[in-house]
Amino acid sequence: MEQHASDLSNEFKRSSPSGNDEGSQSQPKQSTLPNGLRKSSRKHRDYIKISVPEPKNRLPLEWWKTGIAFVYALFNLVLTTVMITVVHERVPAKETSPPLPDKFFDYVGRVEWAFSISEINGMILVGLWCCQWLFLRYKSIAARRFFFIMGTLYLYRCMTMYVTTLPVPGMHMKCAPKKDEHYIQLRMLRSERYSAKTAEEKKEISQVKQLHGDSQAKLQRILKLISGGGLSITGSHILCGDFLYSGHTVMLTLTYLFIKEYSPSRFWWYHLLCWLLSAVGVVCILLGHEHYTVDVVIAYYITTRLFWWYHTMANIQTLRSSPQNYLTRSWWNPVFWFFEKNVQTRVPCSFSWPISWPPSCFKSSCKNYSMVQNARRQ
Amino acid sequence: MKKVVYWSSEEVSNWLAEEGMPEYTDSFQRLNGEDLLQLTEADFKKPPLSLVSSDNGQQLLNKIETLNIEHHIEAHKNGHANGHLIKGNDGDVGSKAKRNGMPNGFRNEMVQIHMPMPEKSHFPMEWGKTALAFIYALFCFVFTTVMISVVHERVPPKEETPPLPDKFFDIFDRVEWAFSICEINGMILVALWLIQWTLLKYKSIVGRRFFFIVGTLYLYRCITMYITTLPVPGVHFKCSPKLLGDWEAQMRRIIKMIAGGGLSITGSHTMCGDYLYSGHTVILTLTYLFIKEYSPRRFWWYHWICRFLSVVGIFCILLAHDHYTVDVVVAYYITTRLFWWYHTMANQQILKEATNTNFFSRVWWYSAFQYLEQNVSGIVPRNYQLPFPWRATPFSRNVKYTRLDT
Repeated sequence: MEQHASDLSNEFKRSSPSGNDEGSQSQPKQSTLPNGLRKSSRKHRDYIKISVPEPKNRLPLEWWKTGIAFVYALFNLVLTTVMITVVHERVPAKETSPPLPDKFFDYVGRVEWAFSISEINGMILVGLWCCQWLFLRYKSIAARRFFFIMGTLYLYRCMTMYVTTLPVPGMHMKCAPKKDEHYIQLRMLRSERYSAKTAEEKKEISQVKQLHGDSQAKLQRILKLISGGGLSITGSHILCGDFLYSGHTVMLTLTYLFIKEYSPSRFWWYHLLCWLLSAVGVVCILLGHEHYTVDVVIAYYITTRLFWWYHTMANIQTLRSSPQNYLTRSWWNPVFWFFEKNVQTRVPCSFSWPISWPPSCFKSSCKNYSMVQNARRQ
Repeated sequence: MKKVVYWSSEEVSNWLAEEGMPEYTDSFQRLNGEDLLQLTEADFKKPPLSLVSSDNGQQLLNKIETLNIEHHIEAHKNGHANGHLIKGNDGDVGSKAKRNGMPNGFRNEMVQIHMPMPEKSHFPMEWGKTALAFIYALFCFVFTTVMISVVHERVPPKEETPPLPDKFFDIFDRVEWAFSICEINGMILVALWLIQWTLLKYKSIVGRRFFFIVGTLYLYRCITMYITTLPVPGVHFKCSPKLLGDWEAQMRRIIKMIAGGGLSITGSHTMCGDYLYSGHTVILTLTYLFIKEYSPRRFWWYHWICRFLSVVGIFCILLAHDHYTVDVVVAYYITTRLFWWYHTMANQQILKEATNTNFFSRVWWYSAFQYLEQNVSGIVPRNYQLPFPWRATPFSRNVKYTRLDT
């Protein structure tokens, strides 16, 4: 080898560079080694970079999309709060409009402390989901889905709440006084005179219409409701009228569905616990006579359908490109595309520490081998 | 067959000719069976065989080896050839067990090659399943009627509970004749759908789907109607008096309602309380969806007409103050979602299996769905066929091809 070093090893003769331009050359020098074998003591400039095609990341994080989903959810929550305030003014008084007949209420009398249980369960479930979310590896994708689905459910809720106002489900409900006496007057006029109105009556009604409003007080109520999270326990749920459909049921069901979906299937005891919390919470809503049964049933139906619909579309790739996929006819399909177009596969159930810290002793796994990865190695 | 070792040179040449290797006949003139068996590759390298053979004798050697095997099998005729001991007499089992001394795959006689049977139809008719779906729908209709009758007794009287505040009612006042328009539209749509259905080729499959979806929607409606009773939406309602406990009269009322189809026009809709959610909206929406789905895409004008009828009908329900707005909205939502859900599942093979990525399988009616649709593979094509046989008439001879299947 040594004999043929300068001749044969590199298959062609290289004329050694004259002078002192050692630093700029990138061609291999006349070394005693054939192509590819270089003495490790050489500097980096002798290394040749082989470009490897980048493996396409099938689950990009894209935190900015999660940000948009968060803003969407926040917007819908605020809209719901505003809507509750508006609807509150329109709820008929308990005296004029007694609670509607409800089958559950006929059989089961009211239990005073039941609604607190429901809210506590809701808070526990939300807390559990938050903790679980912190440990997920693909936080941004899961959070995006959660915000989008929750936002859409609250949007639907705004619509159903607004179009028709149900009376209070029970005489025990304490509704804050209406700020809008003029609107009450308007409603009374309308309900009394249901048929065609004379010109005089119409004039009266239009005069009354101009008077109603009292935006500042309403704004205060909105802020109070948002800050308390809409819960009775925090004392922020004093407004009535948001009965169809039940937001509490939505949260209880949705957090349970997300907890179950994004946790290992081995943790059956955990799933059972969360299911119990959710079911007991929903039953307690009814026990407390805080919502009609139809509110709870419709809320459950819409939540589960939306969740399953979204996740099936997200998980089964062939559905997305299929022309016979009727799921694309929903109005939120473009938004779905925007969020999920780069997610190529089902989000695997893997966990990692929320902050980078070597997890030498953490051995939780979905399967038999450890799925916990060091965050720094991502 | 005699053993190879006992072959004479004549038999060797005969065999060579049979096997299609006449070039060796000359060289092997004096070779008998034993010599044949002792031929090796080395022999083919030296003349004279190297001059005759083109492939160093490979083919010949292979055939000699085959011969060897055949005779080995023949010699061990107790059935070890096929790897297992075959007991029993000749002729009681099929050709496999016959001891012809040949190894697997070697046969002397004719072999039957099975042709694959013509494929099962992708869209079997299965009228039985359609009948089941029809019975289910009928049951749901009757159940709904019974439920309306029950709920009627619980509706709070108009005087006690005024109509609930509704945004649409605030904006639009009541129009008297609007509900008749809605019902007429509904009847037109149902008639159109019926005519279209009779012209479909795959009537049974489509009929099955329609009955199942309609039945399920009415079943859901029973539930929502029953659990909470909304008050009447307007003081114009004429609710028939309550028949507390009078079962016979209630039964008569139920039959009257079924006979009239639950429509006000026929005078059978005199009971109140069935507000959440609106059955009229369900029928209007569902017939439109089915009409659109199972008619050719070219008929866009037809789709537009039906859509117009449907939308006007729904608007008229509200205009007549016959249902609350939330009834209509919820009915529309549930109808469209169920229709799309069912048809997506039916059209995608991958969704017909209950895997854990397939969340669609978690609905309660999934097993019923599988039963109805398991033999339907693929999307039901929009083929049309006259329900009665069309005899060739003079004017039909001019038609070069037709989109109707005969």
